[in-house]
Amino acid sequence: MALYSVDVLRLFPGPHTFALGGWYRLFHTTYIHLFWRSAELALIVSALVVAAAYPLAYFLALSGTRRKYVLLLLLIAPFLTSYLLRVLAWKVILGNGGVINSFLAWTGLWGHPLSFLLYSRFAVMLVLGYVWLPFVALPIFVTLESLDRRLLEAASDLGASRLQAFRRVTLPLSLPGVVAAFLFVFIPTVGEFVTPSIVGGTSGYMYGNQIVLLFQTGFPDWETGSALALFLIGVITLLTLVFVRFLRVGEAQAT
Amino acid sequence: MDVALSDNGRRVMRAFFVLVLVFLYAPIAILLVFSFNKSAIPSFPLSGFTTRWYHEFITNGQVQAALKTSAIVASISSVIAVTLGILASIGLTRTRFRGKGVITALLLIPLVMPLVVLGISLLLLFKVLGVQLSLLTVAIGHVVISLPYTILVLLPRLAQIDSSLAEAAYDLGAGRLTTFRRVTFPLILPAVVSAFLIAFTTSFDEYAVASFLAGPRETFPLFLYAALRFPSQLPQVIAVAVVILTLTLVVVVGIELWRRRAESRLGEAPSY
Repeated sequence: MALYSVDVLRLFPGPHTFALGGWYRLFHTTYIHLFWRSAELALIVSALVVAAAYPLAYFLALSGTRRKYVLLLLLIAPFLTSYLLRVLAWKVILGNGGVINSFLAWTGLWGHPLSFLLYSRFAVMLVLGYVWLPFVALPIFVTLESLDRRLLEAASDLGASRLQAFRRVTLPLSLPGVVAAFLFVFIPTVGEFVTPSIVGGTSGYMYGNQIVLLFQTGFPDWETGSALALFLIGVITLLTLVFVRFLRVGEAQAT
Repeated sequence: MDVALSDNGRRVMRAFFVLVLVFLYAPIAILLVFSFNKSAIPSFPLSGFTTRWYHEFITNGQVQAALKTSAIVASISSVIAVTLGILASIGLTRTRFRGKGVITALLLIPLVMPLVVLGISLLLLFKVLGVQLSLLTVAIGHVVISLPYTILVLLPRLAQIDSSLAEAAYDLGAGRLTTFRRVTFPLILPAVVSAFLIAFTTSFDEYAVASFLAGPRETFPLFLYAALRFPSQLPQVIAVAVVILTLTLVVVVGIELWRRRAESRLGEAPSY
C-alpha cells in the first residue's frame, strides 16, 4: 500500500512513475479537513464514553457488590453480539417515521418529527457511543480491580476525604486503564465507515467513508485512497507509541 | 466507613448502572417488540401481533444462502485462527528467543488497525498476487482480524499452567504430541472454546473487511447491509436480527459462565 500511494505499483495499465499525486491530493483538498472532523468526532465520542464507563467500572470494582462478575458480563454482553445489527436497531429507532418520532407523534408529545435524529453527526456519535460503551468499561474495571484497597484505607486513616483519596490515589493509579480505554475507542472510531454510512447521511460522512469511496466507486483512485489510508496508519501508530511511552513512564515512577 | 463510596454515592452509581443497562438493552427489546408487529413499517402505534416476518425469513432463500455462506466462512476462519493462536501462544510462553517483544507486537497489531485499512491492504495484496476474490479471501481476512483476540485469550491461560506438568508427562515417556493432547490441551480447553467463539462471532458479523474481499457470494452482513436499502425487506431483517441477537446473547453469556466455573475448578482442585 505504501508503494501504491506513490504510484510505483500499478494494477491498471499505464506508465509506472514515482508520483506524489495521492499525497498532494490528501493535503490540498477537503480530505485533510475531513480527517480533522473525523478525529474531532472520535475524540468527543471516546471522551464521553470513557467518562460514562468510569463510574460503572468504579461501582463494579470498588463498591463491594456481590455478583460483580455477573453484572460485568451483563454490561459487556451487548458488545459481543452483532455490531451491524445493533446499528440497524438504531436506524429503526431514530428514523423520521421511526420508533421515537412515531411515538412522539402518536402520544401527541411533539408535533413534527425530529429530523436531526437520523442521518446526522449526532446519530453517528450516539450509535458509536452505544456500540463502544460496554467494551470500554472492561480495561478500566481491570485496573480498578487490581487496585490495592489498603491504599485507600491508608489515605482515609491519614485524614483524606473520599474525594481527596479518589483524586490523589484512585484516579492516578487507574489512569493507564483510562488511557487504554480511550485509545480502544478512538482508534477504530476515527477510521470508522460502517456506522456513518448507515446512520450518518451526508453530514455524518467520515474519513473512512472517503477511503472506501476512493476504492469502490466506478472511478477508483487507489493512489489517493492508499495515501489516505497510510496517513491514518501513521496517526494511529504515533498515538500508540505515545501511549506505550506513557505506560513506561508510569511504571518507572511506580518503582 | 467505606473508603471507596459513601452510601449516597453507592445509590447514585447503582441507579446510573441500571440506567446504562436499560440504554444498552432497550434497542434490542424494541427490535423484539417490532418483530411481532403486524405493520410492515416499524412505528407506533403497534398494529397487532403476527409471526409472519419470522415465517417469511425462514422461507426466504436469499437469507438462507447468506447465513449459510457466513457459517462456512466463520467456521473456516475460526478454526484457522484458533489453531494459529494456540501455536503462537505456545511459542510465546514455552520458548525464549530474540525479538519476542517485536513478534508479540506484530501479532497484536491488527487490534489497532481500522478495519477499512486492513480491508484495502488485503485487497491490494490479493490483486498484486493475482488471487481471485472468493469466500476463501474473506476467510483469510477474518483470520487476520481474529488471530490477536485468540492469542489474548489463550496466552494468559497457557502462562498460568504449571510447566512442570508437561515435564512430568515427558518423564513418564509421553511424546510432545501426546503431552499436548493429554495434558496441555485439556487444561486450556475452556480458553480454546472462548477463543473459538470470539473468532466465530467476529467473522459471522464482520462487514468492513468482507465488503472489500468478498467474491460473488454474499456473506450475511453483506446481505444485511444491502437489504437495509429496501424498506420492504426491513420487517424480515428485524426478525432475523432478533433471532441472531438473542441467540448470541444466550450462547455468549452461557459459555462465559461455564468457562468461569471450569477455570475456577481447575484452579482450586488440582486433580490430575
